[in-house]
Formats: sequence, C-alpha cells, structure tokens
Amino acid sequence: MAAATAAGLATNVFPFRDARAAPDPVLEAGPVAHGSLPVPLVLDNGSFQARAGWACPGPDPGPEPRLQFRAVCARGRGGARGGAGPQVGNALGSLEPLRWMLRSPFDRNVPVNLELQELLLDYSFQHLGVSSQGCVDHPIVLTEAVCTPLYSRQMMSELLFECYGIPKVAYGIDSLFSFYHNNPKNMISSGLIISSGYQCTHILPILEGRLDARNCKRINLGGSQAAGYLQRLLQLKYPGHLAAITLSRMEEILHEHSYIAEDYVEELQKWRCPDYYENNVHKMQLPFSSKLLGSTLTSEEKQERRQQQLRRLQELNARRREEKLQLDQERLDRLLYVQELLEDGQMDQFHKALIELNMDSPEELQSYIQKLSAAVEQAKQKILQAEVSLEVDVVDSKPETPDLEQLEPSLEDVENINDFEPLFSEETPEVEKPVATVQPVFNLAAYHQLFVGTERIRAPEIIFQPSLIGEEQAGIAETLQYILDRYPKDVQELLVQNVLLTGGNMMYPGMKVRIEKELLEMRPFQSSFQVQLAANPVLDAWYGARDWALDHLDNEDVWITRKDYEEKGGGYLREHCASNVYVPIRLPKQASRSAEAQASGKGSGASGGGAGEQA
Amino acid sequence: MVKPDVQGISMDGVSENKMVPSDFSTGPMEKAAKPLPFKDPNFVHSGHGGAVAGKKNRTWKNLKQILASERALPWQLNDPNYFSIDAPPSFKPAKKYSDVSGLLANYTDPQSKLRFSTIEEFSYIRRLPSDVVTGYLALRKATSIVP
Repeated sequence: MAAATAAGLATNVFPFRDARAAPDPVLEAGPVAHGSLPVPLVLDNGSFQARAGWACPGPDPGPEPRLQFRAVCARGRGGARGGAGPQVGNALGSLEPLRWMLRSPFDRNVPVNLELQELLLDYSFQHLGVSSQGCVDHPIVLTEAVCTPLYSRQMMSELLFECYGIPKVAYGIDSLFSFYHNNPKNMISSGLIISSGYQCTHILPILEGRLDARNCKRINLGGSQAAGYLQRLLQLKYPGHLAAITLSRMEEILHEHSYIAEDYVEELQKWRCPDYYENNVHKMQLPFSSKLLGSTLTSEEKQERRQQQLRRLQELNARRREEKLQLDQERLDRLLYVQELLEDGQMDQFHKALIELNMDSPEELQSYIQKLSAAVEQAKQKILQAEVSLEVDVVDSKPETPDLEQLEPSLEDVENINDFEPLFSEETPEVEKPVATVQPVFNLAAYHQLFVGTERIRAPEIIFQPSLIGEEQAGIAETLQYILDRYPKDVQELLVQNVLLTGGNMMYPGMKVRIEKELLEMRPFQSSFQVQLAANPVLDAWYGARDWALDHLDNEDVWITRKDYEEKGGGYLREHCASNVYVPIRLPKQASRSAEAQASGKGSGASGGGAGEQA
Repeated sequence: MVKPDVQGISMDGVSENKMVPSDFSTGPMEKAAKPLPFKDPNFVHSGHGGAVAGKKNRTWKNLKQILASERALPWQLNDPNYFSIDAPPSFKPAKKYSDVSGLLANYTDPQSKLRFSTIEEFSYIRRLPSDVVTGYLALRKATSIVP
C-alpha cells in the first residue's frame, strides 16, 4: 500500500506556471504603415484580450497581430510607478497582486467605461507606432458586441472621431469576421456560428452571407464564469489554500487541464471508479508556503509570546501582593497601637479607638489582630517563594502542547475519499513542539497539492448546463434546437451543413465531438451535418477582420466616415457582411461639455442636444 | 451638426494634448488634469472641451442602466437588440449533481440542503463548517432568504 501510494503520488503532478506577461515594446510602425493610402488598423476589442495590428496590403500580410494584451488597466500602487498613472495590459506583468485594482472598460461584452477604453486605445496606438500628428490618420476596423446597444456605439464613435480624429471606421462582429476567414471567399455562404468567448456565448445563424439578427441568441456564460466556478469549487474543497487559488491559476487549469466530456453522465460514471480517478486526476502543485492553516507565526514565535505573557502576569501578581501586604501591615500597626493603649490602661482612649474601629470588645480586637498578623506572615512568605520560582520558571517553561495525531494522507481505495484526504490532513492543526525537535511527519508535498478530478469536466460544462451554477438560461444544445426550430426544414438543413465553432472558450479538447453528438440527438434520423472548428479560434477574428479590411479598402459603402457620424449621429452603422443589423433609431445626442459649461446647468442637456440635432 | 472650430484646434494641439483629453474624458468634477508625459507626437486629437456624451454625472453608466434606457427607445416588434437576443430559459428539468464531487446526486441532505451521491460524501457533508456549506449553496444559487 505504501509503495503503491509512493509511486502513485509521483504521477500526474503538475506545477503552476504562473506566467508573467512581458511588457510590450513600442514598435516602429515601419514601412507597412505608410503606403499611398493610409493603412487600416485592425483592432479586435475583446473583453478578455485586445488584439491590434496593421492590415497591410501586399504579398506578405504578416503573421500575427502585433499586440495582444489583456484588456485591463490598473493604477500603479501607491504612486510608486514613475508617476505614469494607470498601466495597461502587458505592462502590468503578473495580474494577481493587482487583482482588486484591475479595471476593465467592459461590462459583460459591451464597453461601458470609455475612459478606460481610451486608455486601451492609447496603449495600442502608442505601441503600434502611430505617428501622425493631431489625429490617428488610419481607417480603423473595430469589433463590437452582437446587437450592441446604440448608446454604446454612439460613445465609441464619439471617442474615435472626436478624440482620435480617425477618417473612417467599420464596426463588425468578431465571430462573423472569423466566419469570413474560415470560409472560401468566393461563395456566399450560409451557416451557423457557435462562438464562445470570455463573457458570453452566441449562436448566430447566417443566411446568404448576412447575419440573421432576429434569430440570434446569447447565453451569458463564458470563460470567466467557468474560471470563477472552478475557483469557488477548489476554494471550498481546500479552505486552507484560499489565497493560493487565484483566478490566473484557474485560467491555467482551464486552458491546459480541462476537457469537455462527450457524454457528461457517462464520463461521471467513469470518474466514480477509483482506478480511473487515480490515473486521471491532475494534482496541481502549489508553491510551498510556511503559512499552514492561517497561523501567521512560527512555533518559536508562539512560544516566545507565551513566555512573555506569563512573565507579565507574574509581575503583576507580585506587585499586587506587595501592595496588599503594605496595607495590611499598616492596619496591623494601628491595631497593635490600640492594644497597647489597653495595656497601658488608658481606658477612655481605648474605648474611643474601639468605636472608631467598629469593634465591641478587646477580645474581638485580639482575634482580629491575630488574623491580620497571620495574613501578613503568609503574604511575606509567598513573595519570597514567587521570587525564587520566577527564575526557575523562565528557564524551562514550555507552553502546553495539545497532543494531536498526525494523519498521513494516503490514497485509499474507497471512491471520493481521495477528494477528502487533503481536507483531512488540513484539519489536523500543526503540532506545536519546542523548536529544536523533528518536523511534523506528514507529506508536505501532498499537503500543497490540489486534486483536480471531476472539476476538469465540471467547469467547462456550464455552457451546456447552466443549471450547474444556478443560471436559468438554456445551454448550448437547447438554444441551438430553439433557433433551428424557428426556421423551415430546408433552411435548417442548410444551416447545419456549415457549423463553425469559434472563440477562445471553444478550445477545450472534446468540444467538437460533443457538439456533433448534440446535433446528432436533435436532427432527424440519418440527416447529415458538418461541424468545423475554426483554424485558430482565438485569433481568427482578428485575421478575418484584417482580410475583410484588405478586401474592402476601396469599397466606400462599408465605412462610416466622419461626415456620416456628424450627419447621422453616433449610433449610425453601415451594414456589411460581417456587421450588426442597423436599426435606424436616433439617440438623443448628449450635451457637449462646452454647452454645459456655458449653460452652467445640468438641465439643459437634452434640450441643447435636441436643438443641436435640428441644425 | 457642424463644428467649424474642430480643424483649427486640432492643428494647434501639440504636446499638451494629453492634458486636454483627460479633461475630455473625466467629468466636470474631476478636472484635475493629469499630464501624461507622452513623448510620441500627438496622434490624439486635442479635445475642444469635446462632447463627452453622458458625462453630466461623474460615473459611467453600467450595462444595466444602458439597457434600461435602451428599452425605452421606440423599437419595432422584430428588431434585434441586446436584450431580445438573450437565450430563453431552459424547459428541460435540470439534472442534479453532487455539490462535493460532481457525480449524479440522488439524495439531498435535509439539514443543509446539499446534494450527495454516496455515503462517504454524506459523512463529509455533515462535518463541514457552515461557511463552506453556504459557499456550496451559493455556488448553485440555492441560498434561500426564508429560513
């Protein structure tokens, strides 16, 4: 048994990489950015990562987007960061120390905080080497959410046109750009896109090359909810390691150690079997920390503290005894003096004194004197004793050590006890012994391991079964069925021939097989379907946007120019093969700041805007 | 809506561009300009106290507020918008999984309302501290306000 566990413990142990991002260099734009026509900038503005680069025409369009960074910023801690203010993306290095100060412009998948968005854009432009004066002189292709709120598009257009002065912009949907990239360009295609990102999952039917926006559906679950779920699961299982179970490490587990089960219930049955468990559990090794069970002091420090407390108490007691002794002594003297009065025969004074002392007879006085002198004697002796023993105590005082058993975490054969073992070994608090003795015997390495067993399939499963986290929405399979049922049968057939899976959250091993199985269950008997995973689910949106930009440089109908923005308002959108559907509702333009400053009142906003629009 | 002074000011804006856009992006209350030492020549358009939409109050609207005001716009019945493409709630009954191990759970502990699948899990659940129990229930959104 011991030999087996020793061998078993060594397998499947994985360390955390805890990668830090390297800060991006400020790149020179190079000749690619300066052609006869201004070169478009392609920016995939995602809630997880922003990816930016040039769309260069010519034979060699360049491999990857030049910049890929997490779409977060954080103010430098305590102003110690060279006064540069908020840092963005890869300049932050590791995210974990700053976790509570991270701010993102996104709320779900829509940018709402345009100030932070401006910071991200500044960062991108600066690091791409934009060098035009006074404005960014390149057309921009920007991604937006599916059916993004008009208000948000208005704010984004305003930021781009009025702050950066770009000539023209095109908005598109990232999944549609990915579809554009993964399908042969010369065909007008129909298909179904299942796109799962960091914050939400979309199912988008495409008919004749255009998005059928009325029948799209969005499930509000994505990579970030899976990471949060995994984090809570592990924190509840290992309460002792609360701080070490960070979101970055959860993302690492999801990216590298999780998979999607083809049949969830069947896979769970497999995990019940202890052999399967042992072979497939991934033990994530946490870095060693001496902070066991929340005690922040080492055992020696604890002893020190106890000794100090003891000493203090003893001193206090000694002082009190001395004071009491003194009081008693004085009283005794007084009583003796009174007694002498009696012996000397001065009866009047004696009686007066007795009355003062509240006593009735000489006998009472005598007995009182006796008691008091006995007490004084005792006190003196005690003080002497205490002084002697104080020295003895300090030398070899030991704090009381609770007698505890130490459990060796051994992998037993009973199922799921394996899950509980690390918890049991935590529950035995550390044994306190005087410092110079042997360290506790249990396996320190195993104590610092997180056993990730069924969590490997539970966390990614939430997009198929949102009831796992208590969400009421339907999962991917049911939503897919709902959407397909809204079309006539021949259109359904057409749509399922070209199903594309895209988005970072689709990269789990086993995802394609699972989707195929779900489709098999819902399609009529012996009908066919075709599921394809995007070539690079993470970056395909950017590649698609770049291809689209290069193909449509000359096509004036798809770009929103500054003139359009000024005439038709910020919510205006020009539709194209990869865009949202434009619903022509005019938003009331918010008041400009100069108007506000002049009016010096807050009520003039709407009316000022309305009047401005008429002009 | 024509802004004739835009071009003039954009030519003038040189190195103090970063100060003015911070003006542009912060609310009226946060006027303290943050001069960022941007060495790159200014691609940023010098804001002309620019139209900072929706900055009457200092904070940005969050998604809920944006959607609330979007609902009030005159949408037609079939128009696609952000809230109409929310996926519908599920019609199929949800499967029950054990809170502790994730296996199919046939049983529920009446005392703590946690689900379990084996006897060992049951004894484990009965020994859990109450904060861990609440944690598991909160994960499933099964915490009830009524005791």
